[in-house]
Amino acid sequence: MNWKLPFDIPLVVPTMGLPGWFFDTLGIIVFVVHIAFIYTLIGASTASVLYNITGVFKKSKTDDLLAYKMTNPTTISENMGALWGVAPLLVISVLYTGFFYTAILKVSPHILHIIYGNIFAFLLSYAYKFSWHSLHNHKGFHIAIGLVAVLTFYTLPPVFMSMSNLYLQPELFASVKNIWDIMLTPLTFFRLINFFLTAFAFTGIVMIYLGVKWVKAGGEDAEAGRLAIDQGKKWFMWAAPVNIAVLPLVFFAFSPRISEAYIHTPFVFLPFAASAVLLILFFFLLKRFTKEEFSLSDATKAMVLMVVAVALMATARHGIRVVSFAEPLQLQAEATEKYMSDVITEYKAHKEEMKNAPAVVLDPAVSLADSKGCLACHSVDTKLVGPAYKDVAAKGESADILIASIKNGSTGKWGETPMPPQTVTDEEAKTLIEWVLKQK
Amino acid sequence: MFDFPIFEMPTIGLRMLMAINAIIHVFVSHGGAVGGSVVLALAAWWTNKKNDLAGYETVYRLLMVFFIITTSVGALTGIGMWIHANIISPNAIGGLIRVFFWKWFIEWIVFNFEVILLLFWFMSWKPKAESAEGRTKSVKFGIYYALSSWVTMLIITAILGFMLTPNFDGQPWIDPEVYPGVVNYNNALFNPTWIPGLAFRTFSSIAFAAALAIMWTWLITSFSSDAKIRETKERMIRFFAKIMLITVPIGAALGYFYLLQIPEAARAMIPTAMMTRAFADKMELMYTIISAIGGTVVLTTIIAYFSPKRMPYIAATLMVAAFMLFWGYEERTREFIRKPFLIYNYMYANGIRVTDVPYLNKVGILKHAVFVDEDKKVLKEDKSNLIDVGHTIAQIECRACHTENGINGLKFLTKGWSEEAIRNRINNLPGGGTPYMPPFTGTEAEKDALAAYIASLNKRGEIK
Repeated sequence: MNWKLPFDIPLVVPTMGLPGWFFDTLGIIVFVVHIAFIYTLIGASTASVLYNITGVFKKSKTDDLLAYKMTNPTTISENMGALWGVAPLLVISVLYTGFFYTAILKVSPHILHIIYGNIFAFLLSYAYKFSWHSLHNHKGFHIAIGLVAVLTFYTLPPVFMSMSNLYLQPELFASVKNIWDIMLTPLTFFRLINFFLTAFAFTGIVMIYLGVKWVKAGGEDAEAGRLAIDQGKKWFMWAAPVNIAVLPLVFFAFSPRISEAYIHTPFVFLPFAASAVLLILFFFLLKRFTKEEFSLSDATKAMVLMVVAVALMATARHGIRVVSFAEPLQLQAEATEKYMSDVITEYKAHKEEMKNAPAVVLDPAVSLADSKGCLACHSVDTKLVGPAYKDVAAKGESADILIASIKNGSTGKWGETPMPPQTVTDEEAKTLIEWVLKQK
Repeated sequence: MFDFPIFEMPTIGLRMLMAINAIIHVFVSHGGAVGGSVVLALAAWWTNKKNDLAGYETVYRLLMVFFIITTSVGALTGIGMWIHANIISPNAIGGLIRVFFWKWFIEWIVFNFEVILLLFWFMSWKPKAESAEGRTKSVKFGIYYALSSWVTMLIITAILGFMLTPNFDGQPWIDPEVYPGVVNYNNALFNPTWIPGLAFRTFSSIAFAAALAIMWTWLITSFSSDAKIRETKERMIRFFAKIMLITVPIGAALGYFYLLQIPEAARAMIPTAMMTRAFADKMELMYTIISAIGGTVVLTTIIAYFSPKRMPYIAATLMVAAFMLFWGYEERTREFIRKPFLIYNYMYANGIRVTDVPYLNKVGILKHAVFVDEDKKVLKEDKSNLIDVGHTIAQIECRACHTENGINGLKFLTKGWSEEAIRNRINNLPGGGTPYMPPFTGTEAEKDALAAYIASLNKRGEIK
């Protein structure tokens, strides 16, 4: 296999003596929280625009209210989603530094879209939320703002997932040249389908849960709550079946080295387990499909099942890291050790050499020439940008002319390249010229 | 640096790419989050204490502006700093995370408090504003939010300080002759510029935030359709001006104290850092700029304090503009004076570790450039790919600061130079003229290739 790997960072990994499984678990937990918020962000922002549109066409106040109420989970999940995205990346970047950073570099500059595109979408989603009442009579414009925000949010997962798919498969570092080489692969395609379907299914459950709360609150909110429960069930039941089928496929779309090894680990059961949990949840909701009321305990059960499914997916994904990274991490460690041992040997030898080298005593004029930057363009014996000092001395111009040349700049005497005026005192210029004229 | 894939930013260069993100982040994080949280919490507390309900409502409108900007632009450019650093210098940011992992993790936990408290404060403001107990509770959220914002700055300034002055009291943070490097985390954390930097940033951030609050109060109150809100203009602007009267002098004094902690070699580079090399000796001009910025702040603060009602909008924007210039300069200077290093005495600005230089001078910088194609790193016998090889070296060693023909472009810097002159210049990079440049790293043959490449930039399109 053609491995192209960077060296490891030559500093110890600060584990504080904690075992590997601690970081694995930490990574999975923070990732599950992050992705739960991101699923909600994608789904809730979509729902908010969707029910805003249906509210206009059906002239339904309830739809409009539900749409407005969905802007709150959008705000919370976009903030928390971004924040909890940092934690998994922090863990990954300290444990698998080289792979993570290589992947980011390979998909640059497009990866910056997750910053600038995100800011754009964030601001639009705020504009959408906070202009709800003032733009009430301009629904077309208002919906357009929301739609652009949602569509921008949709562009973020493909970019981020390309990076993630590349870092999970270090063998591709040698062949992938840019983001499109990894984005337009079956793996990214499958994972994106899985991502969006899970996002919609997850949001369905969130809507049921919120709906139950709103119904309890009573009043106008109860109407929106009942609609949320009804729609939430449908969101889940539309999104889940295809996802149940696609989910296990994702893990066989990795490169052959990874997929083949993955089959022989217990991790391979996890995607199927996640699908099974989604299936159970599907029937759980089907049983309650026609009932208008939904109890809080049932909503909580549905939420727990959904989170379990997401956690199973995340653990299955962690399995990919376990399978994929063992070999390259080993190769990287060996290469780094060899490199650093060569580096340190040479560094010590160089230090020894420096210690024994005789101290150079510099003419003060030379130090001055150096500190004023003269030696950037001039040398004593050879023409650089400007003439050699020995040639200047040989030309035999008077000290006063030369001092003026330093202070005011000069051109034409040694070709067209001008010498810019230099910031030196009269005293310094005199010292320099006396030294230059000695270089005959 | 050489061992990672290469990403070049044409025309504006990587430095500018980073700077755009960094400057936006500094404006928002200092003015919006750290300073803003303190200023708004104080304003909420003060208006509530005076039972000034209209003023309290004005503070809410200010908070909405600050909320929108900090949670979107501020938070994401913060993550952006990491991604940008990654693109420019993966070895540097990788090293920093190895040294500061747990501190960053603690900071992330504190960020949770910050974001949740801000969300809670802002989103529960309206329902809580109706009763006196509700408002008292709400003000408390504001105060906790301000505290957690400040703690995030506490940690990040340690990392900034580390890059400039990584050793504590002359005790090294690492022994470069040991692999894998064992870090002395305490020496790295308690570096000499941490606390001075933090103290200076704290007060200048509050002053900046107060200036921003004055500008936004002006806008919000002047254009409000509610007469009661319009009436709050005078007292709110005067309140924020009072905050400035206290924090500006303290911030300036602490800034001077911070300056004194900076190593001599780094301090000598300040004039160059603030302008360009041409101004290396022009201290007077530097003082003029500093006085102009400081004078604008002082003058507009006085206007705001003594005649808040008649304060022209231009004065409010000038005040904010002066602060933006100040932070822009401060950040540029702080980043620049660290040169030629990225982490002082450990890693050069182009990401090459100081320890690696003797070895790389022997075997060549390209030997371990794994992501570079063979024909762009191994010189052919007929030297037909000399310029391509030189280009690769420029990408590895120069791209962090230079572009090919854009900002700080190699082409314009060497216009009219012969290849020999360039070759000689490469020999003497960190010399007197450009003390901020790292030395060339690599073999003599690689030096030839780099010189040939740079010389070729001004020969392109010439008719032979």
